[in-house]
Amino acid sequence: MPAISVTWVLPDGNSRTADVQEGHNLMEAAVSNGIAGISGDCGGALACATCHVAVLEGSESAKTCGEMEDDMLDMVDGERSETSRLSCQLIASSDLDGIVLRIP
Amino acid sequence: MSTYLLHADKRLAAEEKQTFMSNAPTYEIDLKAFWRDPYPDLKAMRETAPIAYVPQLGATLLTKRDDIFVNEKLIEYFSSDQPEGLMTVLMGQNLMRKDGAAHMAERKVIFPAVSPKAVKTVWNAKFEELTKEVLQRVKPSGRADMVRDIAMPISGEALKAITGLTNMKWQEMDRVSQGMIDGCANYAGDPDVEARCHDCTASIDRHIDEMVPILSETPDMSLLSVQLQAGLSPEQYRANVKLAISGGQNEPRDVIAGLIWTMLTHPDQYDLIKSGQFTWLNAFEEYSRWMSPVGMSPRRMTQTYAVNDVTFDPDDRVFLMFGSGNRDADIFEKPDEFDMNQDCSASIAFGAGPHFCAGAWAARSLIADFAMPLIFSELTGLHIDGPVEFGGWAFRGPLALPVAWDA
Ligand code: HEM
Ligand code: FES
Repeated sequence: MPAISVTWVLPDGNSRTADVQEGHNLMEAAVSNGIAGISGDCGGALACATCHVAVLEGSESAKTCGEMEDDMLDMVDGERSETSRLSCQLIASSDLDGIVLRIP
Repeated sequence: MSTYLLHADKRLAAEEKQTFMSNAPTYEIDLKAFWRDPYPDLKAMRETAPIAYVPQLGATLLTKRDDIFVNEKLIEYFSSDQPEGLMTVLMGQNLMRKDGAAHMAERKVIFPAVSPKAVKTVWNAKFEELTKEVLQRVKPSGRADMVRDIAMPISGEALKAITGLTNMKWQEMDRVSQGMIDGCANYAGDPDVEARCHDCTASIDRHIDEMVPILSETPDMSLLSVQLQAGLSPEQYRANVKLAISGGQNEPRDVIAGLIWTMLTHPDQYDLIKSGQFTWLNAFEEYSRWMSPVGMSPRRMTQTYAVNDVTFDPDDRVFLMFGSGNRDADIFEKPDEFDMNQDCSASIAFGAGPHFCAGAWAARSLIADFAMPLIFSELTGLHIDGPVEFGGWAFRGPLALPVAWDA
């Protein structure tokens, strides 16, 4: 499986970049790369909102959330921004290559 | 630990009785002592036998936070489908006893009733109104049992609204909830407990039958209504309303009363709230870690599977011990203390997998945004006025909390 490049900007301003296999979701990728602030409690079931990110750089579709996701984001910890996503819903594909995510 | 070594021989006897059990070391408990305070035994297990078979519970316990966090998500091994389990037999197969796609499909149906958006746009106004009503009712008396007279009606009234069973009294809500919880824990098969549980589920069915035509006429955002709108079968919506009642009444009740007690006994922590350094939501999250209202969630092994050096067999009963994981010294700085200064974000008080509490957003808001601030602002001079006792390991909270205030 081809991989894409994903960058997380941490709350302290530092950033981390990792290769993520296509097909994996970006919450799992953050957890397996030990990105602090992403815990993914519900394992991607769209129930916990512990995988909240803001898309800093990425395609329009990467910045647009689904309907249930939108309802979930109504009460996430930290500021909700225009491009907030639950990263368990972002599935690595060539479309997302080079994406930059901010951890709130 | 000595208990663990002492009872190594008893394990053989236990093995003969119980055919389906892992090869985990055995840890014996005294059920009464475990009910009064499970934390010393859980600590000993984490230190000496973090995955242990407890014959008195007939289950193998996962006690470390990370073991629970990782394995709860592996639903192909740790299944929630327990057809022989008491909950399924007594209450019907609700979504908490389903896995994978069948589980997610029903979670999706109930989502509009419990989502953060629903809490914000629909339930919060209701929560504020009902909390104020309960407090106005008790205020003139100057004293009360915080559990029975304040926390219980707040929790019960909130659950009436969310479930859609507005035709039920809050006292009945608490009775049927407790009756089902007792029924599900009736491993000894006491016929009176079972009969009481049947009476409680029958009462819920009657209340549902009464509400169905009303909610079909005028749909709303309640749990019952959204399931009717989605065309779920009567078995499905009955089972899921019962689940919400058995799983949504005692926890908010126990957290409200338990957190009031914590604030009154930890004035330095209460000062941190008053000064604005921490919020009621911080207090809620740290309390739920420290005194987890849901201590355990059961699973059934589907196939042979090894975790660390323990091998599970198909049909082994496994208990995910959330309350124990939340006191794991490898994860939390001061595991046995209530201290909002520590990082409690690794808490698994709401679970750690696809069954993550559906009521989490409602509970957080009811308690942190309304119950806690309103109780303290309405009941000035609130103080403890008698002996307080906590109980339970599967569900834990204060049994009674006598309080008084300036009337
Ligand atoms: C402080 C309050 C509460 C706590 C600590 C709590 C905790 C939990 C826990 C630990 C689970 C099991 C998670 C797992 O196995 O991974 C659960 C499940 C559940 N809870 Fe809560 N709960 C609370 C309040 C509520 C309320 C108010 C409701 C109802 C409105 C509710 C409805 C549910 C439901 C429906 C499930 C099953 C979810 C599923 O299987 O997908 N809970 N809760
Ligand atoms: S991991 Fe729970 S919502 Fe994304």
